[in-house]
Amino acid sequence: MDFLIPSTFAEALAIKAERPEVVPIAGGTDVMVELNFDHRRPTALLDLTRIAELTEWAPSENLLRVGAGVPYVRIIDELGDRLPGLAMASRTVGSPQIRNRGTVGGNLGAASPAGDTHPVLLACDAQVEVASVRGTRMIPAAEFYLGVKRNALEPDELIAAVHLAPAAAPQQFSKVGTRNAMVIAVCSFAVALHPEQGRVGAAVGSAAPTPRRALAAEEFLAGELSDAGLWESPKPLLDSVRRRFGELAAEAASPIDDVRGTAAYRRHALAVLARRTLGWAWQDYCGTGETRSQSCA
Amino acid sequence: MTAAVEAEVGRARRRKEDARLITGRTRWTDNLTLPGMLHLAILRSPVAHARIAAVDTSAAEAMPGVLAVLTGVDLAKEQGSMGCAWPVTPDMAAPQHPAMAVDTVRYAGEAVALVVAASAYQARDALDAIDVEYADLPVVLDVTRALAADSPLVHPEFGSNRCATWVFDSAEAGTGGETAPAIADAEVVLRRRFRQQRIIPAFMEPRSVLVDPTGDQVTMWSATQVPHILRMMLAATLGLPEHKLRVIAPDVGGGFGGKLQVTPEEVLVLLAARRLGRPVKYTETRSDSMLSCHHGRDQFQDLTLAARPDGTITALEVELLADLGAYLGLLTPGIPLLGAFMFNGIYRIPAYRFTCTSVFTNKMYTDAVRGAGRPEATFGIERMMDELAAELGLDPLEVRRRNWIGHEQFPFTTVAGLTYDSGNYEAATDRATELFDYQGLRREQARRREQDDPTLLGIGVSTYTEMCGIAPSKVLGSLSFGAGGWEHAAIRMLPTGKVEVVTGSSPHGQGHETAWSQIVADRLGVPFEDVEVLHGDTQISPRGMDTYGSRSLAVGGVAVLLAADRVLDKARPVAAHLLGCAAEDLDFAAGRFTARGTENGVSIQEVTGAVFAAHDLPDGFEPNLDAQATFDPENFSFPHGTHLCAVEVDTETGAVKIRSYVCVDDVGTVVNPLIVDGQVHGGVVHGIAQALFEEASYDELGNLTTGTFADYLLPTAADLPHLVTDRTVTPATSNPLGAKGVGESGTIAATPAVVNAVVDAVRHLGVTDIEMPCTPQRVWRAIGGGA
Repeated sequence: MDFLIPSTFAEALAIKAERPEVVPIAGGTDVMVELNFDHRRPTALLDLTRIAELTEWAPSENLLRVGAGVPYVRIIDELGDRLPGLAMASRTVGSPQIRNRGTVGGNLGAASPAGDTHPVLLACDAQVEVASVRGTRMIPAAEFYLGVKRNALEPDELIAAVHLAPAAAPQQFSKVGTRNAMVIAVCSFAVALHPEQGRVGAAVGSAAPTPRRALAAEEFLAGELSDAGLWESPKPLLDSVRRRFGELAAEAASPIDDVRGTAAYRRHALAVLARRTLGWAWQDYCGTGETRSQSCA
Repeated sequence: MTAAVEAEVGRARRRKEDARLITGRTRWTDNLTLPGMLHLAILRSPVAHARIAAVDTSAAEAMPGVLAVLTGVDLAKEQGSMGCAWPVTPDMAAPQHPAMAVDTVRYAGEAVALVVAASAYQARDALDAIDVEYADLPVVLDVTRALAADSPLVHPEFGSNRCATWVFDSAEAGTGGETAPAIADAEVVLRRRFRQQRIIPAFMEPRSVLVDPTGDQVTMWSATQVPHILRMMLAATLGLPEHKLRVIAPDVGGGFGGKLQVTPEEVLVLLAARRLGRPVKYTETRSDSMLSCHHGRDQFQDLTLAARPDGTITALEVELLADLGAYLGLLTPGIPLLGAFMFNGIYRIPAYRFTCTSVFTNKMYTDAVRGAGRPEATFGIERMMDELAAELGLDPLEVRRRNWIGHEQFPFTTVAGLTYDSGNYEAATDRATELFDYQGLRREQARRREQDDPTLLGIGVSTYTEMCGIAPSKVLGSLSFGAGGWEHAAIRMLPTGKVEVVTGSSPHGQGHETAWSQIVADRLGVPFEDVEVLHGDTQISPRGMDTYGSRSLAVGGVAVLLAADRVLDKARPVAAHLLGCAAEDLDFAAGRFTARGTENGVSIQEVTGAVFAAHDLPDGFEPNLDAQATFDPENFSFPHGTHLCAVEVDTETGAVKIRSYVCVDDVGTVVNPLIVDGQVHGGVVHGIAQALFEEASYDELGNLTTGTFADYLLPTAADLPHLVTDRTVTPATSNPLGAKGVGESGTIAATPAVVNAVVDAVRHLGVTDIEMPCTPQRVWRAIGGGA
């Protein structure tokens, strides 16, 4: 097996164009598991860890451009104030050692339905910047996930960065697992308030073949909020609204029974997570609650 | 003058072995490399039950670096049958247990072929080139169905899947009354079925074996808890002369009972090395380990408790259905029986009957895992005490008080026939309730219920005892166990006054080197730093019964103490000679003999030097201060304590969070409080893990579905509360140290404390049990959430 160590992104793209079968590796937190279990034997690994430009983040127009190789720990430490939802999800990834290595780019590349950051990227309308020697294109997160561990990358493409707007309003993420840390989520949920657009983003994880937006829940809540003029003059949400939002969020999922949980439990827990995360986010928006950093239900 | 002034026993010494263990600068078995060493890999059955129709090894043999590919057929003549040292009944079904399957596989993970190659990678790659044709046989996995007349059979030669039925009845034993009339007459009868799920020991260091056959003697290094037992059993299994076999357990990274085994892997590496005439090493991967290290627990418990309306227990009946898996390991059939003596717990129970039916299934075999039979029993009785309290509307502590053995009643012979030498359950419980704020938490619990708080509070109690310090040899004999329970120690006085302690205990993380040094430093009055503890090599420490069953300090530590006393006995006449006084007129303190009433003295080091020189010794004195001792305890030791756990249960998601945990343990004399605290912390965490996280599961085909640490969940720091630990000290009367075992007590105590707390939180919703592990989904389901 070849271990290819490009030092620039251009060099990495050239390799990927020439040898599309190479497997990119950044933190290795997914790839190494597959190699260790001999689930795949790639002819070559493309090491992305020496490419400085992937490990940078910077404002880009109105958005933040976060390089695909920025590890979770830096998202938490350096971007926690501007990308609170992504930071919350990052905190629930693995252990400190894993958060030092693992990257959002890797989460996207693996496209596991259980990837912790996906619901946040969906709820925050993230754009995935992908590149090849042919050029660069932006893929909305909602169009990025195609199936279980399948994404919208072409064989010659690499993930360069994700673009997210700095949070203008509260965001929340929560997950249920059998253990607090280092566990594959039974289900997860993210919500992001977008007052400037008069809408909320909501997405479920670990409860369908792909992470997915909870569109009916988003539409319902947007309607409730604007009908009652709550964006302009925030008041506590009716319990019935929060509950309905939870039900609709759960309906977005198409969970399965597996060793981690039954479909029925996943639907139920998603409804609870959605109701709670909305409650926390809206409380923050109203300015009545203490700011929550809690991320595990 | 000697430097030892402050008493060593009782001192919170940092462990002298930790620097090398923590930094990895030590000889773990896998770190050893011998000249010409080869590597072995094992092909494991992917099916749970099948006839091996054909094995084609030709492609594997042609792979680069491969020196040998061996199947069960190749080894059938020499591999013998893995030994089981515990024939629990005369009619026990004891199947042949080949190290490598010859014609039939009986569990997924059973060895079917091995490759020896120049590198570990070449050996592993060649496994994929071995072609095995399996003819599937019907699988039996469910222990309750395994006894049905039409069940598939794991070992058809016995005509049934039953291994043994073992009964203890207090009326027959003369230790109590008959249970049947007591239950028939009782005003309160509670029946419960509890499940003890299967767990995996999950030691940190995977098992590793290296065999060097090149000398006159075969040397095996193994990451084992039991080098002495291993040597003896290998000799018996393979017909090797025992004196031609040396076994070394170098530093070993944890065991939890999982390395209390004589394994097929050890036999296979030895056979392969002998065949090839070169050193061969096998180190398991974590995946191998999860599949093929023996598992633990796995039983159903049907309990019947009879009581009077005031809570006084009148009878207890226990029926166990124990899933042994496919074969008998070293102690497999005896492990559930250790519970027979513990189901009565700390209580005065007038009538008791225990029946264990053990059953074969197509799963990995079970054997000792931390506590081994006693956690299961303690879980059963402590869960029942909470059930009884709920049934009668009594506080769970009160119902225990009404039944436990009072401190003034010791020594107390229990209905199971053991004599508890000492204890003070009142003192430990009073201290624990005080530290826990028991009444305050009860008030909060009531408040949350009244306010319909979706997060409920539950309080769990566990007042445990356990039998450890295994064991009086005559008791083991009465249980048909194949060996004694003594332990050996030797002390060698070096010419410069330094001391070597040779112990038959075999540490794998417990801190023996530190504790033994403290005992010897105190007794001989030498500096702690001057003591070196040698262990784990049958050539250096030829006699030993190794480490398990919380036996090291209470048996092996006592042997060390006795050996030290014998050194002093030898030194005394020499000191008297040197000081020109009678031996009876000597005092010994702080490492110095003094002629009573004078300033004249001589240090132990000076005596040692004089004996080495041998120029001026009493007439006829043999110039040697070395001494040895073998201690066979007259009784088990019985640590006890009270553990209290508060949990918050999120009734919407079912998630359980441990809010606080208090344990007050009585382990008798404490040699090193840091080590004891460490054992209690680790033990409690292990017990919490069984309650909330760990479970080894098989799918309907018999595949282990929890074969990685992503699926088999060990607790992390983020899942655990701050543990509040305290102690009462009631010395054991059965050994001169006054010490009781501590390695397993936390695990024994914690599991029922946690589950009692979870059930207590939701009992008002009609819940009487939640099967372990109490995952969010199971808790949600128990409170009526759904499927």
